[in-house]
Amino acid sequence: MAHIRIDQADLTFRVRRHLRASFKDYVLRGLFRKSVNPVITVHALQNVSLDVREGERVGVLGHNGAGKSTLLKMIAGIYDPNGGVCDTNGRVSSLFDLTLGFEPDATGWENIAFRCYLQGETPRSVREKVDAIADFSGLGDHLDMPVRYYSAGMTVRLAFSIATAIDPEILLVDEVLAAGDAEFQERAAQRIEDMMAQARIMICASHDLASLQRLCNRAIWLEHGRIRLSGPCPDVVAAYCQSLAPESRAAA
Amino acid sequence: MAAYLHDIWRCRYFWLSLVQLDLRTRYRGSGLGVGWSLLRPLLMSAILCAVFHKLFEVDIRVYGPYLLIGFAGWNFLSSVTLDGCASFVQADAYIRQHRAPLAIYPLRTALGAAIHLLLALLIVLILMVGLHGIRPIPAMMVFAPGLGLLFLFGWAVATVAALVNVHFRDTQHLCDVGLQMLFYLTPVIYPAEILQQRGMGWLVQYNPLACFLELLRTPLIECRPPSSSAFGVAAIAVAIAGAAAILMLSRLQRRLVFYL
Repeated sequence: MAHIRIDQADLTFRVRRHLRASFKDYVLRGLFRKSVNPVITVHALQNVSLDVREGERVGVLGHNGAGKSTLLKMIAGIYDPNGGVCDTNGRVSSLFDLTLGFEPDATGWENIAFRCYLQGETPRSVREKVDAIADFSGLGDHLDMPVRYYSAGMTVRLAFSIATAIDPEILLVDEVLAAGDAEFQERAAQRIEDMMAQARIMICASHDLASLQRLCNRAIWLEHGRIRLSGPCPDVVAAYCQSLAPESRAAA
Repeated sequence: MAAYLHDIWRCRYFWLSLVQLDLRTRYRGSGLGVGWSLLRPLLMSAILCAVFHKLFEVDIRVYGPYLLIGFAGWNFLSSVTLDGCASFVQADAYIRQHRAPLAIYPLRTALGAAIHLLLALLIVLILMVGLHGIRPIPAMMVFAPGLGLLFLFGWAVATVAALVNVHFRDTQHLCDVGLQMLFYLTPVIYPAEILQQRGMGWLVQYNPLACFLELLRTPLIECRPPSSSAFGVAAIAVAIAGAAAILMLSRLQRRLVFYL
């Protein structure tokens, strides 16, 4: 029984202006003067509660930096909330930064295996899927080449084909609806819709309001890490659109 | 704990294939391939044998394998520490995308180093047979538990190094300096007896790194089980390093992804 339960989850992380505090920063500045590399606290999610049950297709909307991706990563178990609860029951598949995590020196075939293993497959189940993945990617003989030499489009095609080859219970999608050339995009859109239809739960973050309305039956609107509105998809999308319209901005 | 180990086991195909890939990438396009990792200690040993033979009149037939095992063990320790530092940073793309037990990334480093160690020990075995003829195999096999302890120690050290390095990126350079100093404090290239004769035997007796080397050397060279005190010190070192790794991992793993 797939089920996601988030109860009053908070997620903050602390970053520094420069990636790393240097030794100099630790010792010198820490003792004698104000740090040039101060710690900045980011409240990515605040007091978010959400309960998603089987059959629900949830669209997540909001401006850039509203916490959409963070929410999805928290559901995927990559980020842990600082406070509150985030319980995810079910086999999760996530379509996030598709092109991340390829081994550049390995061939396309080998990368198919790595990715599948990472998603919990075994050599036997990979052998069953590898032809279908290769087929869908349409990369043909290029799969014998190290991924280092792939073009950006080819990498996306391969990544997408692998990521969508498993049938998850919970599908998390973050803005990957545009991948590859026109022909591939069409097939990709079809594939995603098939997956969404099969998955028990689907959560999709996107700026493409039209496709959200088509795919989702429920939506949440995130603003500055808080849920501003949650409800049936058409209502939330309508409210969101209204807030974007110039009149309401002038009024506010 | 058991659940965590089970999670590690469940994604075994992932880390095993990464280890395989690491080996392949490391020697990609090189003619000699993995032979390089063996040739270097062999050459070093040959030169040191020639020098020490003249200086201290040691028996090359004993000292040669002694040196080779010393280098093999030391290379393992230095590579789990130095490569271990990069375990998480290098794997950030995986860590950011999938929830998998973090300990698999240091494990990947430790396994890669262990394969090189095993290859080097295989050379030693062949050399011993060539130099001294067939010897009692069961007596030599007593090095296996020592090897197991050394591997666990390596995994724990790699985990600690990787965790520290995520928060403090100078770790690798510090470790480099530290290892250099330890190299001279540990009987890697000089016979341990030299220290014992000069009244510095405690340096060998209580140095866990020296004990790990003894666990490998005594069975392979002298065909007898190593001293129980060496086993004891090594086991304590494994327990301390393991406890540190588990403690740090359980405290830091939840927030680790934010520091990558």
